[in-house]
Amino acid sequence: MTDAFLSIRGIRKAYGAVTAVKNVSMDIAEGEFMTFLGPSGSGKSTTLYILAGFQDPTEGDILIRGKSLLSTPAHKRNIGMVFQRYTLFPHLTVGENVAFPLRIRRRPKSEIIERVRAALKLVRLEGLEDRKPANMSGGQQQRVALARALVYNPPVLLMDEPLSALDKKLREEIQFEIRRIHQETGVTILYVTHDQEEALRLSDRIAVFSQGEIDQIGTGKELYANPATLFVAGFIGDSNFIDAEVIAVDGANAKLALPGGVQVAGVPVHGTARPGAKTSLMLRPERIDIELGTRPGHLSGTVADITFLGNNIHLVVAHERAKPISVRLPFGHSALDGLTSGTKVTLHFNPESAHGFVDASTSGNG
Amino acid sequence: MLLDFDKLGALKPFLVGLTAIVCLFLVLPIIFIAALSFGSSQWLIFPPPGWTLRWYHELFADPRWLYSALTSLKIAAIVTVLSVVIGFLAALGLNRGNFLGREALRALFLTPMILPVVVLAVALYALFLRLGLAGTTIAFVIAHLVIALPFSIISIGNALEGFDKSIEDAAILCGANPWEARLRITVPAISHGIFGAAVFSFLASWDEVVLAIFMASPTLQTLPVKIWATLRQDLTPVIAAASTLLIAFTIVLMLIAALFHRRRKK
Amino acid sequence: MALSTTIGSKRGENGGTGYLVPAFSLVLLFFVVPVVMLLLRSVTEPELGLQNYAALLGSTTYLRIFVNTFAVAGLVTVISVLIGYPVAWLLSIMPDRWSRLVLAIIVLSMWTNLLARTYAWMVLLQRTGVVNKTLMSLGLIDKPLPLVNNLVGVTIGMTYIMLPFVILPLMGVIRGIDPAILRAAALCGATKWQCFTRVLLPLSLPGLAAGALMVFVMSLGYFVTPALLGGTANMMLAELVAQFVQSLVNWGMGGAAAFVLLVVTLSLYAVQLKYFNPYRGA
Repeated sequence: MTDAFLSIRGIRKAYGAVTAVKNVSMDIAEGEFMTFLGPSGSGKSTTLYILAGFQDPTEGDILIRGKSLLSTPAHKRNIGMVFQRYTLFPHLTVGENVAFPLRIRRRPKSEIIERVRAALKLVRLEGLEDRKPANMSGGQQQRVALARALVYNPPVLLMDEPLSALDKKLREEIQFEIRRIHQETGVTILYVTHDQEEALRLSDRIAVFSQGEIDQIGTGKELYANPATLFVAGFIGDSNFIDAEVIAVDGANAKLALPGGVQVAGVPVHGTARPGAKTSLMLRPERIDIELGTRPGHLSGTVADITFLGNNIHLVVAHERAKPISVRLPFGHSALDGLTSGTKVTLHFNPESAHGFVDASTSGNG
Repeated sequence: MLLDFDKLGALKPFLVGLTAIVCLFLVLPIIFIAALSFGSSQWLIFPPPGWTLRWYHELFADPRWLYSALTSLKIAAIVTVLSVVIGFLAALGLNRGNFLGREALRALFLTPMILPVVVLAVALYALFLRLGLAGTTIAFVIAHLVIALPFSIISIGNALEGFDKSIEDAAILCGANPWEARLRITVPAISHGIFGAAVFSFLASWDEVVLAIFMASPTLQTLPVKIWATLRQDLTPVIAAASTLLIAFTIVLMLIAALFHRRRKK
Repeated sequence: MALSTTIGSKRGENGGTGYLVPAFSLVLLFFVVPVVMLLLRSVTEPELGLQNYAALLGSTTYLRIFVNTFAVAGLVTVISVLIGYPVAWLLSIMPDRWSRLVLAIIVLSMWTNLLARTYAWMVLLQRTGVVNKTLMSLGLIDKPLPLVNNLVGVTIGMTYIMLPFVILPLMGVIRGIDPAILRAAALCGATKWQCFTRVLLPLSLPGLAAGALMVFVMSLGYFVTPALLGGTANMMLAELVAQFVQSLVNWGMGGAAAFVLLVVTLSLYAVQLKYFNPYRGA
């Protein structure tokens, strides 16, 4: 392996019969913003807690700058962490909260005062040293928690769904602040969330967790354009899944049979593709084009719903033998004139922009 | 209607009257003793023919009374400290531990509180006789500790339930080792529980009679034991004076606890 | 979320089982062990066998003490409940200003030293005491009534102490009943008496049973008040145990009597746990 700044190697965590984390490995560069994305129970928080030192892994290791972290107890790891619940010390003022890590490290008083001031300035709460946490809003409290986590300049900052408890507008505000602070300080951030929009907005790279394993790591763009598994495809962005069957395989592509006798060739396919294998064809709603009327040999259906969403229109097209298909068209698209519920339409798409995911249970031992 | 105060109709005077009588019933004996302690009648005639401080003088002049009060204080203080420390550790273990039989253990810890004290008193008396510790301060402290501990565990346990452990975890991440985090962050956060544990433990020991009777010796008596011994002989008003002081002490303690509670709520 | 509490824990860092050792040792060595030892003595002194229990349960003197103990406990419980229920009822619905005062009085009486309170009744109930003098001056009696050293004194004294233990839990339970339910009953046409017997009483029964059981169990094991206010004719079980051990130095019998008290208490608690659990969910 390389000399990555932070290296997570083969982490596994089992509680008796339950395995929360099956096999997690990744290398993170210094200063990178990495997000662990996944539904609850996927193992992302557990992995984070192993990093923080609150859990011991059953197997595996974690290295910072080549040195193993596991033998160090949590309070000596010098890692910053922000939790979902703000966890400010209720009996101390804001200033005392932020000063706490420095007090523990026995820094001289003048240095503490200066660094606390700088930390509060970083999170844009300067001058509020004497407030008590109980007298602050949720957003402010979370920012104090951030200041406290960063005041001792940790090399790594862990964030466990810190914005879930805030309302949407506040969430977006603080997401912006987090991005800004990341750029200003250059600290390496590991962020846990189940919100894919948040992940896309904040991160350099995203690791998608599913059932204790990582399905894919990549930039938001990579995950969106080239999802490696069905789960990743469904979790990031909107997608349609159409039941299909493999007719023939050609390298990394396949020819698929769709409902209604339609055939499509040249679809990038993931998993072991064999003729007859059941597959899910994934289509992004904005990659589908509409033509009025039906055309043989192509997917067609009836418009069931039209919603105006500002800069795009959302259509739901019902198909006789598949689930309703979601389509997004830009405002001003020619086909929209006179389009109403009940109109028959043909769906066009470029096979290269679609993805086929072979159903693992029917592809045999793959 | 029956649970609406204004709609009770004819029931209201009945309930109110009964409650008033019960309140008088509960309060009058206490006032009565206080009055008696200042009365000049040696046979506790009420209303007293005159007023005097004679009984208090006798009380304070008698070294045995003073000594028993100091003994009570000493034992109660030691018991309080031990009860709070051991109770804190036990409450932590019960709150954080996740092992088989945890609830059974919790029930075991609370049992001394619900079983008849006389059984424990006799059992401990037998044990200490065998160990040669009967009538020693250590035996006394241990006996009182056994019945004070449940109060401590309950009070601190409740406070811990309401405490978010993530706060302690955050302190650890800030660099504090686990005990530093507990002492600097958790303890202040649950201070009301610790204070309650201290007050209840103190009062449990200070007011305790049955165990004290069995743990006492002619040279080691707490205040309740002295009162008990005196009571079995005669009803001198000096007892009224001692009782009044005890009551006053309890009231003061309760007021302090109430004030502390109210200030915390702010 | 602090996963460390819910899913396993890192050794030592989270208050592991080691912290329970002091408390556990204390309870084991100075509670469980001595009681077990006492029990053992009851079947080994003066010789191995159950003869102490036979003597205890076979003789009329001792049986009378058992009966008396249960009778007094029962009497005290019934009276406390009869008086305590209306008070708890009123307390639950009184305006705050007054209920706080009444509660303060109740709590004060609970925390006042037991001996002090018992002493008060000893003085009040004596032949030349206030109660007798008042009754005589009112012309209700012409000779002072014996009110201490008998059943009357014990009952009065113990009821005085037990009342708060009925009132407080009951108040909690009644407070939890939605007044709207009673209003609905009245609207349905029920008379006050019917509302009480068919709605209020059944709903408050768990709290009532819990309080009553607690008072009964406490009264069974009580030592101080019966010893001071009762006479030798109505000795109760706790005093019997003390007498065996202190005056007669008969550990076998003392242990046996203590064990009987223990078993009865534990059985009653078991019954309560099984049938009445007013403080668990519901």
